[in-house]
Amino acid sequence: MTSARSQSFVLGLIGVSLFLAAWEVIGTYRLAGLTWPPLSTVLAFLSTPARLPLFGRAAAASFTSVAIGYVCGGVGGLVLALASHLIAPVRPGLDRLVAVIHAIPSIALAPLLIVLASADATPPIISGLGVGYIFYVAATSGLATAGASHRDLFAVLGASRLSTALRLDLPSALPAIASAMKLSVPIAFIGAIIGEWFGASRGLGLLIVSAMQNFQIPLLWSAVLITAVASLSMFALFSLFERLVQERMR
Amino acid sequence: MSSAALASVSHVVRRYWAVALVVAGWQIWVSAAGLSSIVLPGPLAVLKDFAGDPLSYAEPAGRTFAVALAGLLLGFALGGGLAVLSWSSRILNGLLTPLGLIFTSIPVVTLIPIIARMLGYDVRTVIAIVALICFFPAFVYVGAGLRALPPGSDDLFRVFGGSRRQRFLRLVLPSSIPNLMLAFRLTAPEAVLAAVVAEFLMGTDGLGYMFRKAAGEFDTERALATSLIATITSVACFGLALAAERRVLRRWT
Repeated sequence: MTSARSQSFVLGLIGVSLFLAAWEVIGTYRLAGLTWPPLSTVLAFLSTPARLPLFGRAAAASFTSVAIGYVCGGVGGLVLALASHLIAPVRPGLDRLVAVIHAIPSIALAPLLIVLASADATPPIISGLGVGYIFYVAATSGLATAGASHRDLFAVLGASRLSTALRLDLPSALPAIASAMKLSVPIAFIGAIIGEWFGASRGLGLLIVSAMQNFQIPLLWSAVLITAVASLSMFALFSLFERLVQERMR
Repeated sequence: MSSAALASVSHVVRRYWAVALVVAGWQIWVSAAGLSSIVLPGPLAVLKDFAGDPLSYAEPAGRTFAVALAGLLLGFALGGGLAVLSWSSRILNGLLTPLGLIFTSIPVVTLIPIIARMLGYDVRTVIAIVALICFFPAFVYVGAGLRALPPGSDDLFRVFGGSRRQRFLRLVLPSSIPNLMLAFRLTAPEAVLAAVVAEFLMGTDGLGYMFRKAAGEFDTERALATSLIATITSVACFGLALAAERRVLRRWT
């Protein structure tokens, strides 16, 4: 078993290295044209000390939006899911509302939000809406997973609806919620970046779109790389957490 | 009113009260605050703009739908094909699985500007972007389906001496179909939204461009009506994919 696991780990490492090497080779020999820089160029561009403040400011702004959107969206989605779990008649209506809001293209929401809130509040709001959707869907199905026998026990012992929800349904929803925490990481980043494409005053999204329009290829790839690496690390962290929760709850 | 009609009315009310409440709140707020229609028109004004010239929306919506469908099919063909390839080779599978995981955990939408810069501002670019966004879910879900065989079935094929080819065609491929359809349903609405975002960023044809043009001319009613159509197109794609999934599963199980 351990040898199979270490073998797949080595293969995976080789796969990722091959991908990075292909990126470098394609860039060096310009196989994909001038708009594909080699990895080393992008890394050199990123590590120039003079550019640190530029990337630092942009990343700080974007990551703040991601964090606000993630936390508010997650809490909002959970609260809505609990409400629809506790008050059964509101459930179909809330389900539809959440689905409809999710189906509205975020580029259509952004201009509205800029009018209603402000350009700088738009990235966290779009991010939060996307995250809230995932949490709502995962939590509503997770809250319904408690076994019938446990439920009967709670009923027999005279537990109130609220205490059943908090002591039985919520703990049994934890694995689903942990999955939602992991899966909504890239969604939170997408929301913040798209929100910034609509006239935010700073951020990685702004950097990406202005680099695209001005043919600043290394800048474009650097900003995308920062976003991808940030999302990937957070995703990996929450995958570990998800595994912990699943092992604890089994 | 007959009881059947009453029941269907109450059914609709139970499902849509929250949506109706939000739309009504929007209309009341716009009327009460006396907002100019450039800033934010009410839902009635948006509907009126749409009803005045519904055909002008049909063509961009059709274009966006066609581009999203082309990208979706291309992405699924490539993603599914690669999943099959990596099923047949353990080494390839080991090499590709972590890459697939990495690309599903980064915001793929941020790659749109890179692809736009590489391929140029073109309809083909929009198709490529939609294909890229559909590629990873297809690869991951089909790959999982190829490995999730019904318990015991694999042993049965081995006992009866089925060749690797027979096992693949008669067991492995069919048992990945439910997962394929699930991935299809999950990505179909995303494909439309990705197409709209790409059209918006690059200013090519379709709903995204129409939205950008209307927003640029401060024709907010038209812009909101466009996003309404985009929402409807996305929901319709979800419905179509759901119907296709149910149909396939009924035949399959």
